[in-house]
Amino acid sequence: MAKTRAIIKRLKAVKNIRKITRTMELIATARFKKAMDRASEAAAYTRKLSEIVADLSQADMTLSHPLLQAHETEKNCVLLILTSNRGLCGGYNSGILKQAVQRIREAKDVDQNLSLEVSGKRGLNFLRFQQYEFERSFSHFEDKPRFDEVDVLASRYIELFVNGKIDRLDVAYMQFDSASRQHPTVETLLPIGKLITESTTETTSTRKVEYEFLPSAGEILQELVPTSFKARLFKCFLDAAVSEQIFRRVAMKAATENASEMVGDLSQLYNRARQSQITSELAEIIGGAAALE
Amino acid sequence: MAQELQLVVVTPETTVLNETVTSLRFPLYDGMIGVLPGRTPLVGRLGYGELTFRTDKEERRFYIDGGFAQIKGATVSLLTDRAIPAEKISVADAENQLNQARAVVAKTDAEAEQKDRDQVRARRMISMSRS
Repeated sequence: MAKTRAIIKRLKAVKNIRKITRTMELIATARFKKAMDRASEAAAYTRKLSEIVADLSQADMTLSHPLLQAHETEKNCVLLILTSNRGLCGGYNSGILKQAVQRIREAKDVDQNLSLEVSGKRGLNFLRFQQYEFERSFSHFEDKPRFDEVDVLASRYIELFVNGKIDRLDVAYMQFDSASRQHPTVETLLPIGKLITESTTETTSTRKVEYEFLPSAGEILQELVPTSFKARLFKCFLDAAVSEQIFRRVAMKAATENASEMVGDLSQLYNRARQSQITSELAEIIGGAAALE
Repeated sequence: MAQELQLVVVTPETTVLNETVTSLRFPLYDGMIGVLPGRTPLVGRLGYGELTFRTDKEERRFYIDGGFAQIKGATVSLLTDRAIPAEKISVADAENQLNQARAVVAKTDAEAEQKDRDQVRARRMISMSRS
């Protein structure tokens, strides 16, 4: 008797959990779609921006900007780690943190001053637990990062970099390749290595247009470089948001499947237990009746 | 010759506008520029202020906040940090910004420049929302 009760209790618990994980999966799917839409809308801006960069580079001029130049020594570096605020998203945070820790060790080996900045409560807790010292932390970036929020961060980095306070900025985040492929990565955003990314080369090759530049191409570039850095940093945040939802969806899907499997196992166990109980009760009755004869 | 222009306004977050217009006006870094169909290709830096464009039916106004313009063929692309429809600008917010900008004590040249720019920006917003 007691055994069947215990099994029923467990069965109910598993079913409840399955309901929850299933709902979370659906929510993550919906959020992923929204984040994906945002990311693809934002891609239009980056595309246009690189188009203009390509146009400018046609006007054969030397690209020089403080943000493009690597400093002579890499003494002071910043590592920005983008993690999620919530858990239950599989290997999302651990993947990023693993990369980040690798970068931290690397910096220690070559004797760099690496200051850590972390976004997301998960990363924050990890760093606290591991007793890494970090400079700043943010937890206001949810699954919909806004440009003006990122802008504040970006402007500060630009200022620090131009004034020579920092020599390098890395961002550890989950890069989004496609809906089925994301990988954790540490990307160097400052100094900006290349302004032109591969995707733009095809657009420029179509036809050369003679542009009128207002003001001169050089002056436009002065303004364009920081903007392009901001757009890149913003893209990191968007990528992170999209990837987080994908990871959560995958994790919750697996959890739901596991729960379903457990429900099957447990109900089989329950049926067996009930049957054996009935059998033993019957045996008792028959045995009792036989004893009376 | 095409008699129409395709106006595309994009911000880092989204594409605000993608419309066919007959003419438009927007601020460049040093003053307003008017664009009609068939203009020479251009790449320019945007200023702060009012973007006005005319479609077949109506004339609409937006506030744009710096960025870049690219005119290529019949397409005008404006990349800007913010684009707000004129009717959605709040005077109170803009005045707040103006007061904040005025309260800043500028110590260096760069700060003074920034202060000037913030003030101009806020004033243009106010004047737009009133007109």
